[in-house]
Amino acid sequence: MALIELNDVCKEFKIFKRNKGFIHSVKSIVHREYEIKKAVDHVSFSIEKGELVGYIGPNGAGKSTTIKMLAGILLPTSGSVLVNGRIPYKNRKENAMRIGLVFGQRSQLYWNLPMEETFDLYRKIYRIDKSRFKQNVEFYTALLQMEDFLRTPVRQLSLGQRMRAELVVSLLHDPDILYLDEPTIGLDVLIKRNIRHFIKEINREKKMTVMLTTHDMDDIEQICSRIITIDKGKIVYDGDIDAFKDRFGNGHTLVVDFQDEHVAIRDARLKVVKEEGARKWILFNKEQISVAEAITWVARNYEITDIQVKEPGIEEAVRGIYGETG
Amino acid sequence: MHYIGLYIEFIKLKIMGVAEYRKSFLLGALAQAAAYGAEFLLIWVLVDKFQSVHGWGSYEVMFLYALNLASYALAGFFLFTPCTQLSFMIKNGSFDEILTRPLNSFLYLISKEFNSAYISHLLLSIFIIFICFHQLGIALTFVKWMGLLVCLLGGALIQGAGFVATSVPAFWFVETQGLRNIFFFQLRNFIRYPVSAYNKFVQIVLTLLLPYAFINFYPSQFFLEKSDFMMFSPSFQYGCPFVGLLLFGLSYWFWNVGINHYKSTGS
Repeated sequence: MALIELNDVCKEFKIFKRNKGFIHSVKSIVHREYEIKKAVDHVSFSIEKGELVGYIGPNGAGKSTTIKMLAGILLPTSGSVLVNGRIPYKNRKENAMRIGLVFGQRSQLYWNLPMEETFDLYRKIYRIDKSRFKQNVEFYTALLQMEDFLRTPVRQLSLGQRMRAELVVSLLHDPDILYLDEPTIGLDVLIKRNIRHFIKEINREKKMTVMLTTHDMDDIEQICSRIITIDKGKIVYDGDIDAFKDRFGNGHTLVVDFQDEHVAIRDARLKVVKEEGARKWILFNKEQISVAEAITWVARNYEITDIQVKEPGIEEAVRGIYGETG
Repeated sequence: MHYIGLYIEFIKLKIMGVAEYRKSFLLGALAQAAAYGAEFLLIWVLVDKFQSVHGWGSYEVMFLYALNLASYALAGFFLFTPCTQLSFMIKNGSFDEILTRPLNSFLYLISKEFNSAYISHLLLSIFIIFICFHQLGIALTFVKWMGLLVCLLGGALIQGAGFVATSVPAFWFVETQGLRNIFFFQLRNFIRYPVSAYNKFVQIVLTLLLPYAFINFYPSQFFLEKSDFMMFSPSFQYGCPFVGLLLFGLSYWFWNVGINHYKSTGS
């Protein structure tokens, strides 16, 4: 049986319909109209132990709602959620013991105190035994290069330092599953790389299952082996990344610097999508014309100074999905 | 047991946090003590001027007030911050964190937030209680010592139930400050003075519907050896701990109803 199993899960919210203007506002005191919003709409997927899954979708697509159901904070309206054989909302505490949770936009640290104090507190909350605790703190802080700021009050830490502390806090009790909600939001390139490396490392070393939501497609590209995309509460795609790019991406792009500014490309398989003086962006699909063939064709027919090939990006593919359904 | 250890840990963290803002803590405690000190003075002046309220002298009324304040301080120490913060936490989403820990949500919320400023209320009111005993010439026997302890805890449970019951609606309405102000802070003001001084309707409400009279009025009869039971049984003087346990149990049940509602609707 899979570690995480969602079967035909729906989550509906009843929201109070607000109309604009004073009259409507007064009216709403006496009579309110509600509308039902389906935040998660017949979602099914399953995740095996040790998988590293990217869960992506535009804002408000239902990502956080799904994670809250997996954490046992929310009850599904219909369908079944099983994590490690347990129903999270029924066994909230047992489930909480086996999962780690990081919300990138919310802190679980004590603002006034050095993070080490917060670590100690979580040791008590999760009843972690001393030697395992010590071992874990050492392992994680070394891997995330945190020795320099362990004793600094959290309020004086930078966002990147704080995010690393959040990760450690959520991992001290050796959870089976780590849910990360936008863990790299607002971080600089170096810290992002550090955190991505860390996530891959704990997945490999500790065989930890990781489910990650993000808007940064580099996160997905560099760490995830599988992605699930959701839009308006419905699963749009579930599978590996390359297949995703092939299916939703537009294709490869050649960026060519021509010597002459006015050239026309006379081949139906090559489409000019963007021009900047003598530089042109040419899009093609590798099913129609191979990469090598496209390069040779351009180089043979025109005088060029430079040529680059761009792989189909996941970002374009995702934009394709959001655009398609939106 | 686990929760007691945890609570100590949270207190430790809080003290460490307070140590970072020492002056603010001291000033806060002083301001609270001064404000309530003035209240006591006001009661003393008023009752002294009018000699007595329905047969209760100034030190007896002061005793009522002190018992109310001491049990309020005990309840407030644990519950004021979590209860007043609850609607805010639900609004900004930080309440979710409470549910992500392998702990009882109620106990976790309570241990996370407590209000150390109430220590000054507690010390002040206990000081006043002893002054009243002294002035009224009542000997503090072992039975009265124990009775005082039980009555403070029972009173704290009643007050705590008031805090919890007026905060749980936050799971439905989000904003509960008005509710708390009316049903807890304002209506509870009645028990500053002997309940027997009010008309029958108020007496019944404060005894049976919102039994705040069990916090100070009925137990005081035991401590001050009075028998001012209006239409009710003299056995009510021992009612405080039982009413406290019952009400607090009910409010905890209400809390669980609220949590289940929250889980099924979200915020």
